[in-house]
Amino acid sequence: MSSILVIAEHRRGELRPVSLELVAAANELRGAGEQVVVGLIGKHAHAFVAAVSKQGVDEIATVTAPVEDFDPDVSEAAVRALIAKYSPSLVLIPHSVDSYGYVAVLAAKDQLGFATDVYKIAREDGAWVATRGGYGQKVAVELDFPGRSCVCLAVRSGSYKPNEENASPTVTTVDVPSLQASTTPLEYVEVSAGGDVDITTVPFIMSVGRGLGDEANLSRFKELADQVGATLCCSRPIADSGWLPKSRQVGQSGKTASACKLYIAMGISGAIQHLAGMKHVETIIAVNTDPQASIFNVAKYGIVGDIFEVADALEQEFS
Amino acid sequence: MKILIAIKQAIALDEDFEIRADGRDIEEDFFLPDLNEWDEYSLEEAMLIKERHVDTSVEVVCVTIAPDSADEALRKCLAKGADRAIRVWDDAMEGSDPVAIARALAAVAKKEAPDLFFAGVQSSDHAHGATGIAVAGFLGWAHSAVVARLDYAPGAKEAVLKRELEGGLSQELRVPCPAVLTIQLGINKPRYASLRGMKLAAAKPIETLESSDIGLSTNDCGETGSLSRVRRMYVPEKQRAQILAGDIAAQAKALAAIIREATGG
Amino acid sequence: MDPHELTRILFQDFPSWEVSFFYLVGFAAIGSFIYGVYREVRKYLRGVPDARVVWDYAHIKQGMIAIATHRTLVRRDPYAGIAHRAIFYGFGVLFIGTSIITLEYDITNRLFGLKYWYGDFYLWFKLAMNIAGVSLVGGLIYMMVRRGWIKPPKLDYARPDRAPDAPDYDRSNYRIEDWLFLWILVIIGVSGFVLSGARMIWLADRPEVWDIRWWSPVGALFAYALRALGLNAEGAVILRQLIWWSHGALALTLISLIPYTKAKHIFTAIVSLVVRDPLPAQRLPKVPEGQEQIGYRFLTDMSWKQLLHLDACTKCGRCHEACPARTTGGPLSPRDVILSLRELANSALEYSAVPEQSKLAMHGTGVGQVSSETLWACRTCMACVEICPVAVEHVPIIVQMRRALVEEGDMDPLLQKTLQTIHKSGNSFGESRRKRGGWAKVLPFPVKDARKEPVDVLWFVGDYASFDPRNQKVSQAFARLMHAAGIDFGILYDGESNAGNDIRRVGEEGLYEHLAESNISAMQSADFNRVVTTDPHSFNTIKNEYPDFGGQFEIEHYTSFVMNLIEEGCLTVKKQLGHRVTFHDPCHLGRFNKGYDAPRKLLEAIGCELVEMKRCKDNSFCCGAGGGRIWVPDPVGSEKPAQNRMREAATIEGLEVYVVSCPKDLTMFEDALKTTGYEGKFVVRELLEMLEEALEINLVEAEVTA
Repeated sequence: MSSILVIAEHRRGELRPVSLELVAAANELRGAGEQVVVGLIGKHAHAFVAAVSKQGVDEIATVTAPVEDFDPDVSEAAVRALIAKYSPSLVLIPHSVDSYGYVAVLAAKDQLGFATDVYKIAREDGAWVATRGGYGQKVAVELDFPGRSCVCLAVRSGSYKPNEENASPTVTTVDVPSLQASTTPLEYVEVSAGGDVDITTVPFIMSVGRGLGDEANLSRFKELADQVGATLCCSRPIADSGWLPKSRQVGQSGKTASACKLYIAMGISGAIQHLAGMKHVETIIAVNTDPQASIFNVAKYGIVGDIFEVADALEQEFS
Repeated sequence: MKILIAIKQAIALDEDFEIRADGRDIEEDFFLPDLNEWDEYSLEEAMLIKERHVDTSVEVVCVTIAPDSADEALRKCLAKGADRAIRVWDDAMEGSDPVAIARALAAVAKKEAPDLFFAGVQSSDHAHGATGIAVAGFLGWAHSAVVARLDYAPGAKEAVLKRELEGGLSQELRVPCPAVLTIQLGINKPRYASLRGMKLAAAKPIETLESSDIGLSTNDCGETGSLSRVRRMYVPEKQRAQILAGDIAAQAKALAAIIREATGG
Repeated sequence: MDPHELTRILFQDFPSWEVSFFYLVGFAAIGSFIYGVYREVRKYLRGVPDARVVWDYAHIKQGMIAIATHRTLVRRDPYAGIAHRAIFYGFGVLFIGTSIITLEYDITNRLFGLKYWYGDFYLWFKLAMNIAGVSLVGGLIYMMVRRGWIKPPKLDYARPDRAPDAPDYDRSNYRIEDWLFLWILVIIGVSGFVLSGARMIWLADRPEVWDIRWWSPVGALFAYALRALGLNAEGAVILRQLIWWSHGALALTLISLIPYTKAKHIFTAIVSLVVRDPLPAQRLPKVPEGQEQIGYRFLTDMSWKQLLHLDACTKCGRCHEACPARTTGGPLSPRDVILSLRELANSALEYSAVPEQSKLAMHGTGVGQVSSETLWACRTCMACVEICPVAVEHVPIIVQMRRALVEEGDMDPLLQKTLQTIHKSGNSFGESRRKRGGWAKVLPFPVKDARKEPVDVLWFVGDYASFDPRNQKVSQAFARLMHAAGIDFGILYDGESNAGNDIRRVGEEGLYEHLAESNISAMQSADFNRVVTTDPHSFNTIKNEYPDFGGQFEIEHYTSFVMNLIEEGCLTVKKQLGHRVTFHDPCHLGRFNKGYDAPRKLLEAIGCELVEMKRCKDNSFCCGAGGGRIWVPDPVGSEKPAQNRMREAATIEGLEVYVVSCPKDLTMFEDALKTTGYEGKFVVRELLEMLEEALEINLVEAEVTA
């Protein structure tokens, strides 16, 4: 019986939401008679069983790891064991910082079909076809995996919508002997320590990017944000330059605008890492002088223009 | 002590690019090559280790698996202070995916026997995020990805580093050495390579090798040695924002209306 | 009276030991002077040769004329210039007078028995000396009043490149030297008159002295004054003895100390003016063939001429006053760059052996060093070089020091990024090369590709004019204008890269060479007769610097080009605009290349009333974009040079238009108009756009795509 294996990801006791997106993907892609198996790897893997018991999951396989936190060797060996047990034709792993650390090693050693940052998966004549971006996300690249009976794909978060419905899949404990961690975790560090606002909770964000130009222009947008009732945030270059604290950075290595309903992007081009933090927002308005900027592909409304002119005109409307 | 760094000449696409006739890549005329942004950081990190420990001799060697057009990227590295540069390529390597490249890189590493292997987290063109770490698979070395800070003394048995995680979080950990590390943006401030510096570096030799020189057979290279194959490249349909109508004043008015409706005030 | 009797007996009534003693002192003074000169010249020669210095008749002549007329000193401070002329000529004539006496006494008479200092010659000689003395003392007194009471701001030695607690912040030693110098000269001068008067009283019984007293009118007045104070002949003998020695000792001391004090400017200024480069900041020095290290790190990297410049500076403060960075509170004063390096050179290069390299390091925050912050604040606007009365060339020194900083990568990260961008895409905007000619697509007529077909006029467009949306409109206007005038013109499209002027001034010489070579190659492959440009920066480098790289092209800025078209009748002014305007001379067109007239003629031709700003033409105040500063953000909260300039313009009663003719000026001033709050009071407009209006060039435009 062929199967699709999904490797769930968790951190500091919380299941990462992308895991459920992958479950939904597996459910969508399953063929007749194909099982969807979710792998949970960790010291207390059982704690996440309830969270992954969603409609579409046939079986949950838990692997007890010697360590609480992510370790590349442990994950690699555990996934290898799960593949050996379930012989999946497809393995779905989140494309994340953790998976950056081990999936390529697994694929290289075991010669699995392999691609990363995949956002679309299809099956053609029984063979898997994956689509990812290329040349700075300017093109789409379709990949296939001739001769590979097992294909391992690292899937981009936000590509599939998770299932909300619960289910009761079987739970199997998979014993993987001699799992050994190679790294020694020391501690976690939160960058945003320090009394500023938590931007993951605010409903209205005005974000500034490279188009700001000068640190001197920041105050103008601070004022504007206050005037319209938005929280001022930024893309990575602004935080890297120190013009705004890192806690205000929206993006993959910053924060996700989880509670945001209205997002105004001022002078932000729309690099994929920034989009990761905001493209889910219901109403996005982008202002940029470049009509080709990627931000316009995720925005609902757009203004092709100078952010300072727009700021001035907007100020007029609110004064 | 030696640090081996994998670098890549990443390709950006020029305006109005065209897809190649076979549909599997873009026309080369529209290629705008430049040293991968991440590699600037990994090279800088190696140079900092070299310069911090003047009493120990630290050799910084750059390697790339690419045709001779990548020599420019290697020269930039030499201009920034790398001691040697190696380039491996032959026609059999055409069509290599990240893992096939990694196999070649690992073969070079076996030859060079470095104490540390650096690569960028990903490349600015295709962003696989796989090549660097896959080298660890072929070498059997310890590894860690997305390194945002590194504390390492030449020849030490382990390194203390910081992984940059999602959502503004990072994790400190110890990794045994030798290790393969993929370096993240922002770990340091890459130095400038002036054009004069690059001109002078052009005098330094680049060691050019073929797959046979590093013990690879044709099966190890190109499409045969890869774990995926590019079937097709195309420009996807893009969802487009609705551009607000009118002049700046009219657009601002419309924008203000959207804001008021959303904030209910 | 026998003319031979009309003379002065030297060393009159001196015992021979006293005369010998005087000669001893004299030779000691001369010895000290010679050693001092030797030490200074040795210091200068520790620098490298300067390939551009030309010792020929033309250069020496221009230098001598400049010195004789004092034209460099009367600029922007006419009273000081006149006073200095008085001092200069006074001192000069007195010195020549003393030499005439010495020549006869020690040489012609001693060796050949030849005398000439007597009779009518002697009488006119006395008069000339008196006038010279009055001139000297008068000039000096003005200078004292200037320093002590008028206190012009430029004489404030407070330096913007050091914190008040820095060891070299305090400049009181300079002030003490200044006052000492003035007082010593005044005392020498006045004591000369006292001496003359005392002698007259002492020898009042001799007709050959007393009867001709009015030939020394001031001396005579002093004699009467002294008499009124009760001095008789016996007292006069003593007074004369006293004053003779004090006057003599003071004068010889001064001479002996010339090479060790600010008095050395007598020589350093003269040489500096003679060897001045005609294009010091407009045509920067190439890296000598085969030289590996570029830029200045150590004092010995400088040329002898530059080391001389450090000593030519007289702290007049004109550069300090003119500098736009200094004026807006930046950590740069050209004066203090020169003085710092002078202090460093004096502490390191005046010994018999050259010290180890660390003592010669020019960069840093130590005493006598120049910090990176200071160097990066420069706009290379050349206001300092242009106004310096002693021809110090500050800008090349700053650029050479920047070259070293660039090699080290010591620069603002945004600047670094811009340089990398320019290297990659040939423009500072990071846009694809293919888009360079995109602005021309909206025109209702095709713009020829000069790479593909021959043209009469090649238009070198430039970065800002090609890619900046606001400046693209100006380019479109110029295209329409040339089309209307029937000019056969073309552009290089993506064959053109950034001309490199500002990259060179940032100090990235390698990138400049790369850009220049690329542009020159593209231009040489094209077929054209002359070049025109709307960008003063490109104009400067193509005109003055490209020839050093093998590119000799006849180039004009649009202002003179269009003025010619109007004068030749190819374009006719249809409408008189009637605005009250002021014109901002762009640094690279005006001060750099003396292009002050064409824009003014144009404004007149289109019927505008021109009211000059106080700082106009050679004194035009830089918009702040030069030297790469347009790519580096200004510190938050400080005034920008463009804002300072807007405030100046705002003082013009009824000003309607602030006219510019440079793409960077347009960008900087349109922004400054908003941030200084003068929007609505007057507008900033490009001269080209005003010309288009006045010439009524009405062509239907294609729809501008978003």
